[in-house]
Amino acid sequence: MLHIGFLLLGLGSGAVFAALAVALVVTYRSSGVVNFGTGALALLAAYFYAFLRKGELLIPIPGFDRSVPIGGDPGMIPSILITLVISALFGVLLYLVVFRPLRNAAPVAKAVASIGVLLIIQAAIAAQVGTQAQSVAPILPKDVVELFGIRIPVDRVWFAAIIVAVGVLLTLWFRFTRFGLATRAAAESEKGALVSGLSPERIAVANWAISAAVAGLAGILIAPIVPVVPSAYTLFIVPALAAALVGNLTALGPAIAAAFAIGMLQSELTYLQSLWTWLPANGTAQLVPLVVILVFLVFRGRPLPSRGAIVQRSLGRAPRPRNLLIPAVAGTAIAVIALLVTSGGTRAGVIFTLVYAFLGLSWVVVTGYAGQISLAQLALAGVSAFALNRFAEGWGVPFPFAPLLAALAATVIGVLVGLPALRIRGLPVAIVTLALAVAVEALWFRNTDWNGGLGGAPIGAPTLFGIDLGIGSGEAYPRLSFGLMCVVLLLVVGLGVAALRRSRLGAAMLAVRANERSAAAAGIAVSRTKITAFAIGAFIAGIGGALLGYAQTLATADAFTAIGGLGLFATVYIAGVTSLAGGIVAGVLAPGGILYTVLNDLFSLGYWYDIVAGIGLILTVIAEPEGIVGPWHRMVDRLHDRFTQQPERAPEAYDESFLDDAAAVESGGPAVPATPATAAPFGDVVLRVDGLGVRYGGVVAVEDASFDLREGEIVGLIGPNGAGKTTLVDAITGFAPSTGRIELLGRDVAGVKPHRRMWAGMGRTFQGIELYEDLTVEENVSVGQEAGRHGGPHTDWSQDEDYMARLFRVLKLDDVRDRPVRELSQGHKQLVSVARALAGRPRVILLDEPASGLDSTESAWLGRRLRAVRDYGVTILLIDHDMGLVLEVCDRVVVLDLGTVIADGPPAVIRADPKVTAAYLGTTHSPVVTGS
Amino acid sequence: MSALLECRGLDAGYLKGRPVVRGFDVELQAGQVTALLGPNGAGKTTVMITVAGLQPSLDGEVLVDGEALARGSARAAARKGVVLVPDDRALFTGLTTRDNLALCRRRGGTTIDEVLDFFPSLRKRIKVEAGKLSGGEQQMLAVGRALMLDPRVLLIDELSMGLAPVIVEELLPIVRRVATETNAAVVLVEQHVHLALDVADHAVVLAHGATVLSLPAADLRADPSVLENAYMGETSAAVR
Repeated sequence: MLHIGFLLLGLGSGAVFAALAVALVVTYRSSGVVNFGTGALALLAAYFYAFLRKGELLIPIPGFDRSVPIGGDPGMIPSILITLVISALFGVLLYLVVFRPLRNAAPVAKAVASIGVLLIIQAAIAAQVGTQAQSVAPILPKDVVELFGIRIPVDRVWFAAIIVAVGVLLTLWFRFTRFGLATRAAAESEKGALVSGLSPERIAVANWAISAAVAGLAGILIAPIVPVVPSAYTLFIVPALAAALVGNLTALGPAIAAAFAIGMLQSELTYLQSLWTWLPANGTAQLVPLVVILVFLVFRGRPLPSRGAIVQRSLGRAPRPRNLLIPAVAGTAIAVIALLVTSGGTRAGVIFTLVYAFLGLSWVVVTGYAGQISLAQLALAGVSAFALNRFAEGWGVPFPFAPLLAALAATVIGVLVGLPALRIRGLPVAIVTLALAVAVEALWFRNTDWNGGLGGAPIGAPTLFGIDLGIGSGEAYPRLSFGLMCVVLLLVVGLGVAALRRSRLGAAMLAVRANERSAAAAGIAVSRTKITAFAIGAFIAGIGGALLGYAQTLATADAFTAIGGLGLFATVYIAGVTSLAGGIVAGVLAPGGILYTVLNDLFSLGYWYDIVAGIGLILTVIAEPEGIVGPWHRMVDRLHDRFTQQPERAPEAYDESFLDDAAAVESGGPAVPATPATAAPFGDVVLRVDGLGVRYGGVVAVEDASFDLREGEIVGLIGPNGAGKTTLVDAITGFAPSTGRIELLGRDVAGVKPHRRMWAGMGRTFQGIELYEDLTVEENVSVGQEAGRHGGPHTDWSQDEDYMARLFRVLKLDDVRDRPVRELSQGHKQLVSVARALAGRPRVILLDEPASGLDSTESAWLGRRLRAVRDYGVTILLIDHDMGLVLEVCDRVVVLDLGTVIADGPPAVIRADPKVTAAYLGTTHSPVVTGS
Repeated sequence: MSALLECRGLDAGYLKGRPVVRGFDVELQAGQVTALLGPNGAGKTTVMITVAGLQPSLDGEVLVDGEALARGSARAAARKGVVLVPDDRALFTGLTTRDNLALCRRRGGTTIDEVLDFFPSLRKRIKVEAGKLSGGEQQMLAVGRALMLDPRVLLIDELSMGLAPVIVEELLPIVRRVATETNAAVVLVEQHVHLALDVADHAVVLAHGATVLSLPAADLRADPSVLENAYMGETSAAVR
């Protein structure tokens, strides 16, 4: 019976999580923001309410008085109402100041900005009122009713009932009011809302007011139940995020139910902790959200619905380091000189700069290169530090091996936490890593069974060949040798990261960051690339953690908190998370780093550091995604351009220049070697599609499609809109689940992952082109080479010259090789996308509407290029709406209608086939028959 | 007859100093259909979204009834009755046909029934989610949704995007009817040049961001070679 009692007690925290989950869903639906600061909003409301009841108005701005008297307690209900209004206004303010400028940014960028909000609120409150727990008089009836021997805490039941009622009301409101309809509409298509005369911004403002008020209500009602402490309230966000994720951030009902389940389970586990001695003494409650998120992502995960925004800003450019020698030598020299000329606290600042630079670099790899927002890097460093204590002190593993093993332990955890990222990209990764950071902190770092007790887990000085490399103590602190060791290690790791950026793996990471679908089509093993990034990042963080442990001579929980991890994440982002230099600069800015040390000596930073970090993070996201080092990189680029004397050509000069060949043809000059449609005798079957079917839910998209492609053929796939052409290509290349057989060169590839089909000799383009806009033409194309590097059958064009050079020449891309793709015209982009697909030397290439966006001259030119490509032995399946192109270029045409193949034959026959004419022109089964 | 909507020296584009369309001038009359033509990449869509206020203009003015519209304000444009049907249609795919229309209803304005009179085949699909309509029906709904807003200037971008020619042939006469019956000025961006010219009163041809032709549609219908020269001549000129 006690169990049920504890489950009911959990209704209280469950209600908070539910309310915050509701707030998260409302905010996400209306503005695409996953607001990590929602818990902080509840915290703010709790303090406002507590102060109102004392007859004071809280001023949560450091530097001002803590509060002003308002002449007595206004009473419970008025205080609640005032607090709710203030919360709502604050929500509106947040939207207008922070999230409105980001309305066209990617969801991940918005979430990062919300982390800045979290940091600011949390630090501002801590600065104004301290971190002492505040007690608040009960709001709800506090009786305990006994029913069938179960003690029922009435206030928890009331709280739960209120939040459920709020959820039901909001659900009804969104379903049945015009405002609710408009909110749902704007969530689906912002552009649609704009052209419909709706104002997505007003809708967002109203929803922000609602969500902030709901979060505020949670804060007020929980205040009498759970003592008000800044970090505890702020971290309510983790279980709330877990619950909201169960509702896919869009459905209120499941989110509320999951929130209650989490709260009740946590309460029960706290009870069991005291009952079952084999359970860890601390932190099982924090494990619940992590497990919920993991289970949910692994078993039920699907992509979060994204909004049809007009433009999306990307993470900043990740510049490719050109010359390593100068920065490496100069950087090392600066670091060594800084160590030599400093002493005492300032030298410690230099050392901590070096140590935190490791963490910066770990974020550069995971977030900057691979695009995964990890909030757990500091926690992983902590894992390494505590593991180091275990290895070195517990088991006596000698110096270079103990920290390496510790970093490997961090790597293992890092890979585990990266696993959900294999199925889901973007925001859920940020959520799961934050949950991990919270769980590890509670379960391990704060668990007195494992953390070495109150004094922390001691870590002795490292020695190598009898040389003391420790940081020393007393007068000797900090010793130079430890600093020099850090310099050497940082040099090694830094060069490693630079090499990574220049390597194929680095290019693969950037490709994954830019677009996972097209990365897979380029033959990149997306999952493996992401996991590798997590592993490398965790290892670097682990080395940083071990060094931090050596520097502090012990591992303590306070050095590796989840909130601290958020602050450090902000620092790295501000410094520039996409580049090597940014990672190093992050060390300078980090708490304990040299800049911090100097400023702290001068001004005593205190909570201001977090506040400035939060503001800086928001400004960085809004204005300069490349961080502090961004302008510097651009300056270096300009200097480089000037010294290498590259003529500054206006980008327009390139436009359409690739049509030179067309002009040559028109003027009777020699054309490219293009064979007439029926010249080449066709070889064996290279691709056989047999009984292929695709279903989405109850909808049959493709049914029993069968056809062959013979070597050296160009086959057109045509059909009216909605016939299933793109779905068919997706199925053949593995991007859509299908039934039936797909044979590539005699091997059944059905069920094989997309990138492996590319390895086996396929290539494809996408209707939406899907290039990496930030990379140059050459980088884009070279990413595609990946598919040809894993054995398997590929065409051999490279008898007499470099394959890539020939590819660029045949597709007339030589002139634009070094331009970023975003500067090119549509026609040029189409060619680049074809070139990327060809770079993997496929035997069969499937082109999805390569002529869309081209005018008739350009598409005729494209047709000749495709012939030229075919002459090198590539078999082509061409989907296009341009019937002229298809009938002109193709040797054979397959016609698809309503998911089935209705005709298959030479162009002349197809043109005359009445079935085809009927599909295209007849109205017999056309879905659009006007009733006239 | 004074112009309902006028563009004066409009520079449209996405980056300062890099206009996609330069010095665009046009005058639209009530009840007339203007076909905005030109090869791909000419800047037709850019003009449309700039006039509709989805993208701030780089220079020049858009005037409605002689009054300049605020730059880059979709609401200001909508208030003046300038309504865009974007090329991707931007429907609310999770909402039903009726809800898509109802959201745009204005007091005393066009009713859902009146819109359905233009597109009778939507009537039996009224409870279906917009995402589950066929391509042609979605396009009808997109135009219908715009009609709910009582447009005085209706901008239709790529009516034929992704539609079989037969469906376009059915839709274009309805657009003509809309112009005649509601007295709206309609601008039509269209790939199927000849289909568009059949219903248009006036034609403007863009190439590489510049207006190369502006003349009555009848003239182009009478002498298609003029148009071919505008398309091809300009292209080959750019090549040299």
